[in-house]
Amino acid sequence: MARAEFVYLFAPELYERLVWFGRLRWVAVIVLAVSSVLGPAVGVEDVWPALFIVAVFVAAYNLYFTIVLGRRSREGHPYERLRACAVRQMLLDLAALLVTVHFTGGLQSPVLVFFVFHMAIGTIMLPTRVMYLIAGGTSLAVAAVYVSEAEGLIGFHPLDPAFGMCGRMCHVNMVAFAVALVGIVYLTDSVTSRFKERNIELWEATEALRRRTAELQEILHQMEVVEERKSHYMRISAHQLRSPLATVRTSLQVLTEGYVDPGSERGRKLLAGAVERVDGLLEIVNDLLELAKMREGRARAPWTREVNVNQLLADLFDALEPYAEDRGVRLVPDFEGVAILDWGIPPDLVYAFENLMQNAIKYSHRGGEVTVRLRVADGTLTVRVEDHGIGIPEELVEDVLLEFVRAPNAKKHAPEGTGLGLAIAREAVEAHGGTLVLESREGEGTTAIVSLPLHRDPATENGAGSMGSEGDTSAGVTDA
Amino acid sequence: MAEERTILLVDDDDVFVEAVTAVLETRYRVRRAANGTQALQMIGEERPDLVILDVMMDHLSEGFDVARRLRNDPETADLPIIMLTGVDQVYNVRMEVDESWVPCDRYLEKPVAPGDLLRHVAEVLGS
Repeated sequence: MARAEFVYLFAPELYERLVWFGRLRWVAVIVLAVSSVLGPAVGVEDVWPALFIVAVFVAAYNLYFTIVLGRRSREGHPYERLRACAVRQMLLDLAALLVTVHFTGGLQSPVLVFFVFHMAIGTIMLPTRVMYLIAGGTSLAVAAVYVSEAEGLIGFHPLDPAFGMCGRMCHVNMVAFAVALVGIVYLTDSVTSRFKERNIELWEATEALRRRTAELQEILHQMEVVEERKSHYMRISAHQLRSPLATVRTSLQVLTEGYVDPGSERGRKLLAGAVERVDGLLEIVNDLLELAKMREGRARAPWTREVNVNQLLADLFDALEPYAEDRGVRLVPDFEGVAILDWGIPPDLVYAFENLMQNAIKYSHRGGEVTVRLRVADGTLTVRVEDHGIGIPEELVEDVLLEFVRAPNAKKHAPEGTGLGLAIAREAVEAHGGTLVLESREGEGTTAIVSLPLHRDPATENGAGSMGSEGDTSAGVTDA
Repeated sequence: MAEERTILLVDDDDVFVEAVTAVLETRYRVRRAANGTQALQMIGEERPDLVILDVMMDHLSEGFDVARRLRNDPETADLPIIMLTGVDQVYNVRMEVDESWVPCDRYLEKPVAPGDLLRHVAEVLGS
């Protein structure tokens, strides 16, 4: 609906009004028909056929509009169609009235009053602009009939033959009539315009509310998705904690209920097993806390700062060397360029890279090699951690990034592990606006690829650092 | 208690297996398998009187797969099966003992008290 134009009745109400006016019109038809039949009795013999024809005419178009409106339900009609329908009905009504006025005494006709009715109702239902046009047109049409009657161009049919043409007095009547039509439009409009404005405001408010509701529904849906993810995660976590707990409980119960003597070899084995499971539980709980911390947005912490990734990786090489040596794996650095993130959370980045390097070492074969390649291009840092170890089954390459997902070959190769490391690493990388992707072939090895933007995206709320001179430094780094 | 009936215990958690074995050994002979493949092989070699199966081992529904294979094989269709697992926590489904979904004689959730376990085993074996 065009907002600025008309808003007093909306489509459903306009429809109801039109139906109601349709019923009124049947009353008019009956009155006209009865008058025409009674005409000869009351002495207006010459006009009754004309009135009867008008009655039939009005009945015909009223029937037509009744059918048109009945074709659809109250809600089914577009506003524009209803308005066009209302204008047409009014023009036909006015034409019928004009003919009736002519045959009932012109300006002496009592029917003239009904023009005023139409103006008032039309002003409520239709745009005021349209109604001024109609009021003016109607005045001119009635004036034309009056002049034609006065000039003898068409007949003059007074209700009482005793009346003649009313002479000069009727000029005044004509002017009063025209003023009345335009005046009633003006008065009605001045009374209803306030309501029309209110209606516009109401309509705008309704629209705004509808938009807002849609937005809220969208947000609600997103929250449901998050909530679902959360509850799924909770369920998985609970299961991961529940299994070792069940084992611990059963082991202890077997001992306390005397099935096994705690001092026996089997008893000691069960106790050691319980301790082992409790350690595993602690590890899971710690990792879950780590993950929760990152999810809570540690990236927004005020202590973010510039991070030299080359330095960070070099430190990790030193830290992981003993572990690699222990597993018979060689660590090979391959750095090209210098990568300085203009903001970052050092402990989280350390966690991510340490985890990826640790995995690469853990799942390598003895005598294998782990290469860490660092490249800088187009404002993006890429770190590839490559191993030639056991690899990941194709169907699990994406899933192992999820919480608690461990491939069977990984479990066999290295039973220890919570299945949370990669999830945390990914969380950390993503908190820095980056991505973590795995490429792998079972039996051939895995490459973990971390891509990180060197500069903070101002669109993300992460980080407290400013975009500034660091930007220029790294532009030089790109070419290095 | 020399009933000398044999139970095959299939679970990948070695500590849990150790504890349950201790309980079952008070009345039965116990053999152990750490995964489904091993279990099927052992059943082929020597048919036990009862199989106690975990669900999540190397694969998510490994225990169910083993149970279905046993039920579909005429040789082992009547072999009693007890599911002993915490798997319903993951699926959030209250799994009833339904032949079409979980083909087993009894479905027990971990942890199960030793006394309860023995009672369930005795009931399944007695029937």
